[in-house]
Amino acid sequence: MTRRVAVTGIGVVAPGGTGAKAFWDLLAAGRTATRGITLFDPVGLRSRIAAECDFDPADHGLDPDLSRHADRYIQFAVVAAGEAVRDSGLDTDAEDPWRVAVSLGSAVGGTTRLEHDYVLVSEGGRRWDVDHRAAGPKLHMAFSPSTLSSVVAEQFGARGPVQTVSTGCTSGLDAVGYAFHTIAEGRADVCISGASDSPISPITMACFDAIKATSPDNDDPEHASRPFDNNRNGFVMGEGAAVLVLEEYEHARARGAHIYCEIGGYATFGNAYHMTGLTGEGLEMSRAIDSTLDQARLDPTLIDYVNAHGSGTRQNDRHETAAVKRSLGAHAYDTPMSSIKSMVGHSLGAIGAIEVAACVLAMKHQVVPPTANYETPDPECDLDYVPRTARPRKLRNVLSVGSGFGGFQSAVLLTRSGGRTR
Amino acid sequence: MSTERPRRAVVTGIGVIAPNGLRADAYWKSVREGLGVLDRITREGCEDLPLKVAGEVRGFDASTLIEDRFLVQTDRFSHYTMAAAQLALDDAGLPRENPEEPFEIGVVTAAGSGGGEFGQRELQKLWGQGSKFVGPYQSIAWFYAASTGQISIRSGLKGPCGVVASDEAGGLDAIAHAARGVRRGTGAVLVGAAEAPLAPYSMVCQLGYPELSTVEDPDRAYRPFTAGACGFVPAEGGAMLVVEDESRARDRGAAVRAVVAGHGATFTGASRWEESREGLARAIRVALDEAGCAPEEVDVVFADALGVPEADRAEALAIADALGAHATRVPVTAPKTGIGRAYCGAPVLDTAAAVFAMEHGVVPPTPHVFDICHDLDLVMSRARPAELRTALVLSRGLMGSNAALVVRRGDDSAW
Amino acid sequence: MITTALTFDELSTLMKQAAGVTVDARELEKAPDAPFTTLGLDSLGLLGIVGELENRYSVALPTDAERCKTPAEFVGLVNNALRTGV
Repeated sequence: MTRRVAVTGIGVVAPGGTGAKAFWDLLAAGRTATRGITLFDPVGLRSRIAAECDFDPADHGLDPDLSRHADRYIQFAVVAAGEAVRDSGLDTDAEDPWRVAVSLGSAVGGTTRLEHDYVLVSEGGRRWDVDHRAAGPKLHMAFSPSTLSSVVAEQFGARGPVQTVSTGCTSGLDAVGYAFHTIAEGRADVCISGASDSPISPITMACFDAIKATSPDNDDPEHASRPFDNNRNGFVMGEGAAVLVLEEYEHARARGAHIYCEIGGYATFGNAYHMTGLTGEGLEMSRAIDSTLDQARLDPTLIDYVNAHGSGTRQNDRHETAAVKRSLGAHAYDTPMSSIKSMVGHSLGAIGAIEVAACVLAMKHQVVPPTANYETPDPECDLDYVPRTARPRKLRNVLSVGSGFGGFQSAVLLTRSGGRTR
Repeated sequence: MSTERPRRAVVTGIGVIAPNGLRADAYWKSVREGLGVLDRITREGCEDLPLKVAGEVRGFDASTLIEDRFLVQTDRFSHYTMAAAQLALDDAGLPRENPEEPFEIGVVTAAGSGGGEFGQRELQKLWGQGSKFVGPYQSIAWFYAASTGQISIRSGLKGPCGVVASDEAGGLDAIAHAARGVRRGTGAVLVGAAEAPLAPYSMVCQLGYPELSTVEDPDRAYRPFTAGACGFVPAEGGAMLVVEDESRARDRGAAVRAVVAGHGATFTGASRWEESREGLARAIRVALDEAGCAPEEVDVVFADALGVPEADRAEALAIADALGAHATRVPVTAPKTGIGRAYCGAPVLDTAAAVFAMEHGVVPPTPHVFDICHDLDLVMSRARPAELRTALVLSRGLMGSNAALVVRRGDDSAW
Repeated sequence: MITTALTFDELSTLMKQAAGVTVDARELEKAPDAPFTTLGLDSLGLLGIVGELENRYSVALPTDAERCKTPAEFVGLVNNALRTGV
């Protein structure tokens, strides 16, 4: 059984403003939300910059319990899911709860809270035999990664398949992909899908310091995230969440829902090469792209825009440039490919969902978001990276691609063409 | 329209690293004999914690199976998973590395606790010494995707890779995820879970679970379905399976050990055990429906057996709701009472036991459980011979998920 | 003034500790131009060794250190840095 899967709602919590509108305004203006870290004192770190969300749970009418006790990444997800469900017009009380699913991704889950309480129980890292009496309440909720989907399912009364996906930096794409399969193959009619992460913490910043993956441009944070630019020097950490309401196409039509677009295909492959390294050939990412095109029976020349992983590391930018050329051939040179990480940073597991949300909004507005801070071309990255300024364009078929630690390469295809082209 | 028979996903290999056995056959021998191995926790730094009893993996030397360069960059949970993965590949007769068609084989794991011991060590360096003392492997050892990534790299497997991080029931979800991948066209998926939650800080984190048993007598700490039920005991380890396209397996002459026939998953809220009755019953019905299997055809049930009175009652009633009159006749077992619950690894171990049980025609017993207060035919004390063609494996997560998996005998082509 | 110098013996020990790579020090000495990658040491492993040396000697090594391709290149660069105090 293969059923069509529609996107009917979007919710976003991203750096630069909460809500899909604020998010799109930032992207369309090409503004950057990267700045010096304020969430903790980053003294001593190599990279002391990040794209932070100005987020106060009190502004969003969360349950007092969630507002007080839930981890930041869970609050992000609940707020984004609330916006997405409202946007979809879905009456969750009227739905068969067993046919409503949840598929949410997170790369590092509750680690910020885990670190916070670790400091308490270990007397500031002095003892291995930690003292449990110093731990805060409900610490198990930070320990269990499934808390994310559990809390969101609870909020919206979902009783169908509820899963948390954690494939590192492709978590968001993969969570949307799993949701796509769940609906296409008939296990649910509605799926609240997306991803959330709040990794701006000492341990996560320190572990990326240790592999020099993050940008050390502490004196100029606004221009530190420079994907595809020859002078890039690493990614800038981000945080946030995006949630999409995915829905079986006829189910959405029957209730007269606004359909943004459809999910045309999803695929993921491993590079079996290195936990953090990428090859220069992009073979596995290309294969993922090809698979999504096959699923949608879409000719590669009909791709109108590629939302890149574009993390701003040299190896990534070259890897995916090669992958896109391999899949789209000469058409790659006519296809704009941009990285919104230049503006909202890299929020690890969340970013894949945030990028899919950006693609949906790009199709809605028929505008390609730019790659901010792109000034100096890299001779090995010779595609059209949409420098600095958003660009109107007819967008019918859009690809979002991502790479993650572990070697994962994923692609999601969004389409408004509504039919098969080959 | 294609008239071809739909692809079937079958089990062709099993690898186990468990508290009661460091290979699949050793695990099965212990399970069949009803050996209980719950014991005092011996890991350094855990002495003063109020959780005293667990199922520890002992005598495991990772370096006999895994190269040092992989061991230094991974947590214990990945050591177990990688070792189980290699044993599963060996069992399936697949190459340990660099298969001819790398895109044909994927890797899917479930993870519920991540690389906690490795993470605690690096947190101690960060907070005790400074950020420059955090090593380069923290970024790839602590996160939930570590095992899938390392297995893919070590064995050269480029097929679809995935990680479901969904506590216990996630183990069954992962197997279903693999089976669906196979039905969609992937040749084989190395799938399962192994956990290592017995590091000091990881244990502190688990103390908040209201379902955790802190009873200090290993014989009495985990006794589901009895009047003395007082919660569950955690464990480490787990299992990996090779789930493969049936015709691919037959073409290469591999033994088809079982068919992954159906799966159902629902959610009924964290710790709301009474409501899990309806959720679990529905998951069972969905799984049977997908398998095309009537309730009467279920020959054995591997219970979730949480050990919390209201959860046990909900499970017994769910089995009755879903299987009807057959529920009082079908043998039910919970071999995990002998080893504890290895989070996502637990239902994968149960699935491995179910495959062995069908192969050997015997229902393994439920250690430590002698006198139950529910209307179930729970197999206690000793194994019971029985013709087993279909097994139902149940699992529930502490965060509210319920799952059911139907596995059927591999040598029977009737389904 | 730091007088310590990195020897092949120490490099061999560090490779084992930081990256799980077993290479005899004499072999490193005999073929110091054999690439790290063929010895089994990847970029993360080398970063770990650089970090360990930086912490041990309380110096910041030049960024070229983690880009060295061979033991000879690495030992030369590290010892030069330790000598000049860079």
